[in-house]
Amino acid sequence: MQSGKRATERVATVRPLQIRGRFFTAVALHLTGRPDRTFFDALDARLAQTPLFFDNAPLVIDLEQAEGMDSADELLQFTADLRARKLSVFGVQSGTAAQARAAAKAGLISLPGGRDVPLERVSRQGSRPEAVQVVRELPQSSKLITQPVRSGQLIFADRGDLVIVGSVSSGAEVIATGNIHVYGRLRGRALAGVNGDSSARIFCHALDAELLAIAGLYRTSEDLGPDTPRELVQVWLDGERLRIESLK
Amino acid sequence: MSKVIVVTSGKGGVGKTTSSAAIAAGLAMRGHKTVVIDFDVGLRNLDMIMGCERRVVFDFINVIQGDAKLKQALIKDRRLENLYVLPTSQTRDKDALTTEGVKAVLDELREEFDYIVCDSPAGIERGAHLAMYYADEAVVVTNPEVSSVRDSDRVLGLLNSKTFLAEKGDGSAVKAQLLLTRFDQNRSANGEMMSVQDVLEILAIPLLGIIPESTSVLKASNEGTPVSLDEKSPAGKAYMDAVGRLVGEQIEMRVNPGEQRRGFFQRLLGRTA
Repeated sequence: MQSGKRATERVATVRPLQIRGRFFTAVALHLTGRPDRTFFDALDARLAQTPLFFDNAPLVIDLEQAEGMDSADELLQFTADLRARKLSVFGVQSGTAAQARAAAKAGLISLPGGRDVPLERVSRQGSRPEAVQVVRELPQSSKLITQPVRSGQLIFADRGDLVIVGSVSSGAEVIATGNIHVYGRLRGRALAGVNGDSSARIFCHALDAELLAIAGLYRTSEDLGPDTPRELVQVWLDGERLRIESLK
Repeated sequence: MSKVIVVTSGKGGVGKTTSSAAIAAGLAMRGHKTVVIDFDVGLRNLDMIMGCERRVVFDFINVIQGDAKLKQALIKDRRLENLYVLPTSQTRDKDALTTEGVKAVLDELREEFDYIVCDSPAGIERGAHLAMYYADEAVVVTNPEVSSVRDSDRVLGLLNSKTFLAEKGDGSAVKAQLLLTRFDQNRSANGEMMSVQDVLEILAIPLLGIIPESTSVLKASNEGTPVSLDEKSPAGKAYMDAVGRLVGEQIEMRVNPGEQRRGFFQRLLGRTA
């Protein structure tokens, strides 16, 4: 274990390197058959409807119903045609093994399956590039736990807030992409905003945590200090500093 | 309706086997037909605590593997009419336990016995998992110190998720109660040991009993007598109180049940739950 001082410094100073998980939205282009004259005509017509929306949008070619596309040359040509239309192709998905190999040769990455959402919902929002932001938000849903969280248990709310009615024991871990509420004593580790949401907060009735983290910035029990409020507190991120304040 | 009770803790050396023997003997003394099973395959101790180590011919593993009948492996206690011991193997390891085998043995025992006490090994691996898997109730043995309390907490999490009742998913659960062992009133009052309230606050389960630290426990173990048979010992009395609560009686919680009523100042200084 590092000394408490060292851990505080890590939070407070600018680090040369940070590794964070990142979610982003890409456009998937489903190719049926081969990209012929008709295909490009249809594509140009579609792009003309919302000229700015697709500008430099990260794009994946879906090869599930494509024909051919199993040689690097073919893929390189197709990529060049798309990039000429300001589409930022970076990978393929749902391809066969041969197509994946060809993609690798053409400098494209093969993505494992994702989930498609209708694009209409997005394009109707307007044609400004900011509209891409809208797709990023998955439907939120909070998770409710009504039993004490025991040592060794891990509770993960992957799409929003985590509400715990009861205590979180030492050696337990509660993690949420959103806020964490503990209506009891928090003795274990709590990590809020794990996808990088720095506005996430941790609320608890009594604070005795082993570790508190918001959007990857953390403090351990060692560097909480004797002045830290222990009853009815909230933990939030003030710039690069994790603050603990009484709610009383 | 028979009940399977697992005596478990996570941590080793807190008194699981001593408690299993004492609880089983206590239940038998109250007239319930009881069997106590040793799940600690490879490190068998229960037969020694029960004083029947020289009478072991067949064991739990022989029964699971079909080499012996259950009747051949059950050892009848010489002191108590209603008490039986199912010892385990010292030469095998936990892999000899199978889910189906354990279920078959427990199902057969359920037909004949009122209470089936399962003495769990330490840890949370196969032996401990199978000891708790088919339990209706659990006695979680804990010492008043932090590592024991944390391990018990871990075990409570497993009782809530990795047992047959929990996996049924219809809201039924293993009823878990706390047995606080090796408790020393003075050291707890001095702050050297955790208090009863501290332990209960962390574990958040009902208290079955408080067993005082007592020299009679080691003596009873060495003699091969369940400590609850020692009527003079405070630990024996505390176990009998716990057994009474286990079968549903309301018994006042006393830390030293054998002790004379203390004076006014002593009572003031040593208040307990």
